[in-house]
Formats: sequence, C-alpha cells, structure tokens
Amino acid sequence: MYKYSQKDKTLINERVEQFKYQVQRRIDGKLSEDEFKPLRLMNGLYLQLHAYMLRVAIPYGELSAVQMDKLAEISKKYDRGYGHFTTRQNIQFNWPKLIDVPNILSDLSSVEMHAIQTSGNCIRNISTDHLAGLTSDEIEDPRPWCEIIRKWSTFHPEFSFLPRKFKIAVTGSSTDRAAIKFHDIGLQIVKKNQSIGFEVYVGGGQGRSPFIAKKINDFIEKRDLLNYLEAILTTYNQLGRRDNIYKARIKILVHELGIEAFKKHVDENFEIFRSKELNLEDSFIKQTKEYFKLPNLKPSKKNIPLSKDIDFHNWLMRNSISHKINGYSIILISLKPRGKPPGDASAEQMKAIAKISEKFSFSEIRVTHEQNLVLPHIKNSDLLEVWSGLKKYNLATPNLGLITDTICCPGMDYCSLATARSIPISQKITEYYQKFDKQNDIGDLKIKISGCINACGHHHVGNIGILGLDRNGEESYQITLGGSANQNASIGKIIGPSFPEDRLFNAIEKILIVYKQNRKNSDEDFLSVFNRLGVEPFKKEVYDST
Amino acid sequence: MAKKLKGEFFFLSANELKSGKIIFYSNNGWVDDFKQATKISKEEIESYEKIYQAEEAKCIIISPTFIEIDKNGEILKLRDKIRINGLTIEI
Repeated sequence: MYKYSQKDKTLINERVEQFKYQVQRRIDGKLSEDEFKPLRLMNGLYLQLHAYMLRVAIPYGELSAVQMDKLAEISKKYDRGYGHFTTRQNIQFNWPKLIDVPNILSDLSSVEMHAIQTSGNCIRNISTDHLAGLTSDEIEDPRPWCEIIRKWSTFHPEFSFLPRKFKIAVTGSSTDRAAIKFHDIGLQIVKKNQSIGFEVYVGGGQGRSPFIAKKINDFIEKRDLLNYLEAILTTYNQLGRRDNIYKARIKILVHELGIEAFKKHVDENFEIFRSKELNLEDSFIKQTKEYFKLPNLKPSKKNIPLSKDIDFHNWLMRNSISHKINGYSIILISLKPRGKPPGDASAEQMKAIAKISEKFSFSEIRVTHEQNLVLPHIKNSDLLEVWSGLKKYNLATPNLGLITDTICCPGMDYCSLATARSIPISQKITEYYQKFDKQNDIGDLKIKISGCINACGHHHVGNIGILGLDRNGEESYQITLGGSANQNASIGKIIGPSFPEDRLFNAIEKILIVYKQNRKNSDEDFLSVFNRLGVEPFKKEVYDST
Repeated sequence: MAKKLKGEFFFLSANELKSGKIIFYSNNGWVDDFKQATKISKEEIESYEKIYQAEEAKCIIISPTFIEIDKNGEILKLRDKIRINGLTIEI
C-alpha cells in the first residue's frame, strides 16, 4: 500500500489547519455561506436533506486495517455509528456536525486519509479494479498508475476549477471491473509489441445524458501518460462549456465536436506537452510500484477446510475468487445483507473487518465500485475461520453478483436532489429474493437503482436498471434493460412508461419469467438472453399484462 | 424564494449552522419539533423571509426553506415528510 511521504503529510496537515480556520471564520460570521460553501466542498463536506454529509476519499479503493478501524471510530465518535461505501470507492458519513469536521479531518490525517477530491469541479478520486494486482488475467497492476495520477492531479492549479467534475478510472485487465468506459477518461493497460502502455478512452459517463467513452488513442507509452492526460484536460478546460451545467461534462464536448475533432485538439496539445517536465522516469515508476508489491504470500497446495455447512459452501461459491498465488483466495464481503441499505457498514462491522483483515489478509482491504468490500489475500486453509468471523457480524451474505447484490444511490432518504427513494426498492428486492436457491437459479444479474436522473446508482448500466422519478408528487419507477459497465459496455434501453412502486415488483418478476423461459440453459445469464432476444419480448410481457 | 412557492400555508425550516440539524421557526424562535412550528400563510412569507435573512446573517442557520402544508398543518410533499420524520428505512 502507498505510504505518505513527509511532503504528503505536511500537505494534508496544512489542509486540516486551513479548514479548521475556515470553519471558525464561518461560525464567527467572517465568511458568508456563499463564501464558505466552495471551501467546505473542497473538503468533501456537503449539506444534504437532513444534515451535513462528509465524503472521505479512499484512493483507488484501498484501505488498511488501521484506516478501517479509524473509520469505525469516527463513525461512532462523530456520527451515528455507521458509514456508507459509495460507487466511487469512497465512504460517506451522513450526520457529522460542522464544528466536528476539523477534528474528523485531523483524525483521518493521523491514518493518512483525507476528504480532498471528493467534491467540486476537480479531478476526483481515481478509481480502479478492486481485484488490481490479484488476478492472473492482468497485464500490470493499475494501482501504481492510479497513485501517479493522484499525485499529479491533487491540487493541480490548472485543473481545480474545471467546467465540471472529472473522473478517471484505470484497469490493468481486458476484463473491465472498473467501468472505465463510463468515466471521463478510462485507461486500460495494454501490451503492444512487447511494450506496455495505455489504451485511452474519453467522454464516457452516466447522468442525464449517458455516453459510452470513445477510444481516443490505441497506445500511449508509460512515460507519456501524464503528458497525454494533461493534453486531454487542457483541451477540456479550453473548450468545455461553462455556461450550462448540464452540458459541461467532457462527454458533451466529445459528443458535440466528434471524437476525431476532439482528438485533433488533444494531439496538438500533446505535441506541446510531450518531452516536457511531465515525462515519467523509469526510476519514479519503479519507486511507485514498490508500494504495491504483494505481501509475502507463500504458494501452497493447502485445501479449503471441509465443512458440511451449506451456507459456507454457498458463500465460497459466490463470494470467493481464486488468487493468482496458489493456495490463496480473494474474498468479497457483501454489504447487501437482507434489510440493510446497500453499501452501509456499522462501526462494529468495520471494526470486525479491520480485525479479520489484520489477522488473515495482511491488513489489506479494498472497496469495490459495486459497494462491497474485498479481503485480498486469504489463505485457503483459513477460509472457514474467516467465514465464521464474518458471519458473526452479518457480513457473510452469499450474494455476490446475484439479484440482491444491488447498487443503489442514497435516494430521497438522504439526498436533496433525489426525486424518489431508492434504498427501500433495493431492500424489497432483497426481501423478495432472499432465499439463496431462488437467487442462484436466476444467476448473475446486476440490478442498479438511482433515485434521480443524475444516475448515482448507475441505473444506465444495470442489466435491469431502475430510475426513480416524481410523477405529479408520486414516486414512480422507470425500468431499463440490457445495460452493462464491463468491457462490452452498453446503456440500458427504456422499456416503457414508469410504474408506481406497487407495480414495479410485478414488472421485475415478469421480466425474470421471460428470461427464465428463454434461456438455453442455466448458464446463460440474463444479459446474454437480453442481447439475443432484444427488448420486445420483455416489453410485451410487462405491458400487456401488468 | 416567495415567488416560486405554490400553496397557501407553510412552515419555515432550516439547518442549524453548527450542527446541521433540522430546525423550525416557532413563536419562541427556532425549535427541533415541527409540531411547534408557526403556520405561515402565503401573505406572510415576505416578513418571514426577512426573519431568516437576519438569522442567516447572525450565522445561526443555513439553507432556509418554506415547507408546504395544508390548512390542517399536514406536510404535503414526500421529500419534506422524510426531512421532518427521518429516514424511511432501517439502518
């Protein structure tokens, strides 16, 4: 894991002191809310429907046990005893007091954490594959590159006031687990003629106008990565719209100019920047990679302990993945148990995860963009003990990738922008499909729920997407089908008019009946069947009989 | 703010600056319990705008808002109901 340099520590500590002073000035009336708002947002502090909300950065979703323990402590000391892991691999606290936030930031800095780049029109927290460095399908670990981009982007003077927020994701594998084609810039590490570099995508995103990112470059050499990113960001900064918030994201610029014209501008800027001071030296890359070496894992042929417990077997089947080192497994901790908001973890759960990680997973934890957690290096021989430990804290729900593993934004329960609630929809789905066999029979299926058109719940890329709307003061839900955020990126198609909540579940059930009736065998998943049949049979079943 | 409002009656609500908690304007100043909130008619809105502007200037509140209610004091919008009654979900 990356460890702060003295420079990093100074930077973060100075930031805490600055914010402490800004809060005091606000309370003393020396700053108006209009003056203070951009300052608090630059430190991750929002005002939501009920209270302040603090979004804490988890760079590329990687946490240590000590950091997780601190998050638990903060949630208990300053909040209501829980935190919410987000689709950007960050964590949010929903009830902090303004007067406590400087102390929270100070506590965070003691474990090398902060809330920078979690709000505002800057380059946000860089996200990546939650399995980075762990699987054999990878060309190279993307985390060092995320760290290099983080260093470049933090407080970048030219890119702190972009036309809109800017999100970058990196994957090291051709299997995209980081949704790179739905980011402003998506980077895929590729190999070409024995050289490793980056395939670059630009202009992806969700929100009210979803776009799949377009490829802008087949191969950028490692040493030129920052020069090329600088060229894209400069082009965006020069040409991006600032007159209309709904047209300010880079995806609109790329769409309106066309990728070829946009690329021409980028190439011109790249010619100016390349071979300048942003060239990445091999020594710097090597030095950064040192932080992300695997712990001392000893390959072994040790087997998974025997157990007659069916729950353990179900959990292994759904929540474990083979590690690239023999004898180890990657464990996914579901934060989608029955009856709880997706992505929430209590202080007790966070403490338990920290302890289990410390004992069994070299103190490493990851956050996934699908609002679950990862224990990256578990010895196979420890799996039963790890499962027992997680189960005690309701952290062993065997539902990864199944219908109850929903992504869900906070919706109208928390968010000032939402037009409908989303968490209760997720909870009702979890309730209805709670039996493992029922879920497992449906197989891999991603349901994603957003409480408004801003799409924080990623409904556009749900195999089944649900969008909450306000229809004359009543909550109403629109269904999209066929979305996917992986390497075969697709945007879901709207099947028709929206439903009130009481008819939504009936519609979902009918969609699943069409799927089950038409699958060739139990291995053909929902998305494959949808891609083969198209939207019509689903639409017909839902609207002819709902 | 007044020009955008529909409806006939309102409560004045805001967040307390230091804590962020939701508060309501009553005859006794700001209170936590919306049942004590003063019922405001459309005609009175402008005078209450002056009140919240003064309270904002004193750094007591942020994000003032008028909540639409019916003549019996029942809150009309779901968002406002959630804001006042709290989450509709189990944590």
